[in-house]
Amino acid sequence: MVDEALMSRDILVDDFLTIFISSTLVLIFGGFYVGIYTAIKVKLLKNWMMYIGYFFWILTAYCLYLMGSLMHVNDFTAKALVVAAIGLLLLPHAVYYMQDHVHQENEH
Amino acid sequence: MASSYSKSESKKLATWYFTVAATLFGAQLLFGLVAAIQYVMPGFLFEILDFSVARMVHINALVVWMVFAMFGSVYWLLPDETGIETVGIGLGKLLFWVFTAAVTVVVLVYLFIQVGPADETSIWFIHEGREYIEAPRWADLGITVVALGFVANLFMTGIKGNRSGIVTVLMADMIAFAGLYLTGMFYTDNISIDQFWWWWVIHLWVEATWEVFVGALAAYGLITMIGAHRKVVEMWLWIEVAMLFGSGILGMGHHYFWIGTPEYWWEIGALFSALEPLPLVAMFIHVLYDWGKMQGEEAAKGQDLSVITNKPAFTWFIMNALGNFLGAGVWGFFHTMPQVNLYTHGTQFTSAHGHLAFFGAYATILIGMMYLAVQGKNNIKILNNTKSSIWAVSMIVGGVVGMTVALTLAGYSDVIISRAQMGATWAGYFDAQATTWLVQGLVWRLLMGVVTFVGFLFLVKDLLSIGKATHHVR
Repeated sequence: MVDEALMSRDILVDDFLTIFISSTLVLIFGGFYVGIYTAIKVKLLKNWMMYIGYFFWILTAYCLYLMGSLMHVNDFTAKALVVAAIGLLLLPHAVYYMQDHVHQENEH
Repeated sequence: MASSYSKSESKKLATWYFTVAATLFGAQLLFGLVAAIQYVMPGFLFEILDFSVARMVHINALVVWMVFAMFGSVYWLLPDETGIETVGIGLGKLLFWVFTAAVTVVVLVYLFIQVGPADETSIWFIHEGREYIEAPRWADLGITVVALGFVANLFMTGIKGNRSGIVTVLMADMIAFAGLYLTGMFYTDNISIDQFWWWWVIHLWVEATWEVFVGALAAYGLITMIGAHRKVVEMWLWIEVAMLFGSGILGMGHHYFWIGTPEYWWEIGALFSALEPLPLVAMFIHVLYDWGKMQGEEAAKGQDLSVITNKPAFTWFIMNALGNFLGAGVWGFFHTMPQVNLYTHGTQFTSAHGHLAFFGAYATILIGMMYLAVQGKNNIKILNNTKSSIWAVSMIVGGVVGMTVALTLAGYSDVIISRAQMGATWAGYFDAQATTWLVQGLVWRLLMGVVTFVGFLFLVKDLLSIGKATHHVR
C-alpha cells in the first residue's frame, strides 16, 4: 500500500491500460477541440462545427475524470486536473482574443 | 531585413555549426544503433564498446549536436533580425574551433579510455557520470567559456542593432540556458542532492529554455518562410514564453517524486505537470493559425500560389509542431502524474517519451533551420522539395515514431509485470525483461532505428545537393 497522501489505494493491474489510453485521449481530444476552434477562426470550417469542438472538450474532461478516478488521486491532484480541464477550455478563446486584437491593430 | 549569405560572416559561421551538428547527429544515431543491437544481442561488441559506453555517446551526442545547431541557428538569424553583422564574430569563430576540438577529444576519451579510477581523476579527465552531460570537468569549464562567449556575442549584437522581440526573447533565454549549465558542474557524494541539481540542467533546459528557444525559432521561421506578420508572431511568442516558463519551471516537480526530495513535490509536480501540455497545444495552434491566415490572405488577393518559400524547412517546422505535441505532450502526459509515475518511472515508457520528445520538439526544427541555411547559402528565392527531402522526412519521422511505438509496447509490459504485478523487485525486473512483448518491442525498435539511420543518409545527401537542383525559383 502506497502512502495515502498520494493516492487512496493502489492502482488495479487491469486499470493501467484504461489509464494510459484515457490520458493519451486527453490531449488528442483536446487537440481536436483547439484545432476545430482554430480552423473555424481562420474560416477553414463553418461556425456550426464549434458544437463538435465543444463535444471534444467534453470528451477531454471525461477522460481526465476517468484517468483521475482510476488512479485514485488525492484531493489536491483532483483539483489540479479540474484546473487543467478549465485551462484547456479557456485557452483558445483567450489566445484568439489577444490574437484578433493584434491582427486588427496591425491591419487597420 | 534579410541579410545575404555572401556578405555575412555570421551566416558563414552558422553553416560551420550546422555541419558539425549534422555530423554529431549521425554519430548519435550510429551509437544508438549499437546500443539497440546490444539490447537484442547482449554479447555484441562486449568489452570493446559496452552498452554503457555506446549509450553514453548516444545521449551525449544528442545534447551536443542540438547545442551546436542551436548556436548555428542564432548566428544565422542574428543578422536578419538585428540588421547588422554579429558583433565579435572573430571571437565566435575562435570559440567554434575550441568547442569542436573539445567535443572531439571528449568523444575520443569516451571511446578509447572509457572508464577511470573511481576518484577525482575520472571526474576531471574522463567523464562525470551524469547522464546527458557527462563531459569531464576540464571540458565543462571549456563549454562554459564557449557559452559565455556566445551569449556575449548575442547580447552585444542585440544591444547595438535592432532588438526585435525574437532577439529579446533569445537574449533572456540564452543567459538562462548558459547559467543553468553551471548547476550540473559541481560534484557531491549525496546522490539525492546530486540529482536535485542535475535536474536543474536537464529539465530546465528541455522543458523551459529549449522550448522557449524553439518558440523563437518557430517565430523566425514563420516570418521568413510564409511572411507572417511580425507583430502577430511576436505576440504569440510572448504568450508562449509566459506559458512555458509558467508551467515548465515548477513542472520540474515530476522529476522529484522518487529521488529523496520532500513529499510536497508530489503536489507541485502534479499541478504544473497537468498544465505543461497547454503551451504545447498553443504552439501547435500557432503554426496552423499563421499558415491558414497567410494562405487565406493570398487567396483573398486572387493568388492560388503557396505562401511557403522553403518547402523542406516548412515541412520540418510542421513536424516540430506535431512532434512537440505528441512527444512532449501526449507521451509526457500519460506518465507524468505521481500516482501513475510510481509505476512507470525508469521503464521503457521513459525511453519512448525521450525518443519522441527530443526528436519532435528539437531535432525537427533544427533540421528545418539547416534547410533555411541551405536556401540562404545558395541564394534561392523558393526552395522546393526533392525526392531525397521527401525520403528523408518520411523515413526519419516514420523510424522515430516506429521506435516510440515499439518502446511504448515494451514499456507497458515492463510496467505491468515488473511494477504492478511484482512490486518493483529484482525478480520482477528480470521476469519483465524476458516477456515476449518486451523482447519483440526491442527488436522492432532496432529495425525502426535502421529506418531512421537510412533516412538520415537521405537527409545528408539532400542537404549537400538540394542547393544545386534546378527546379527552385532563384
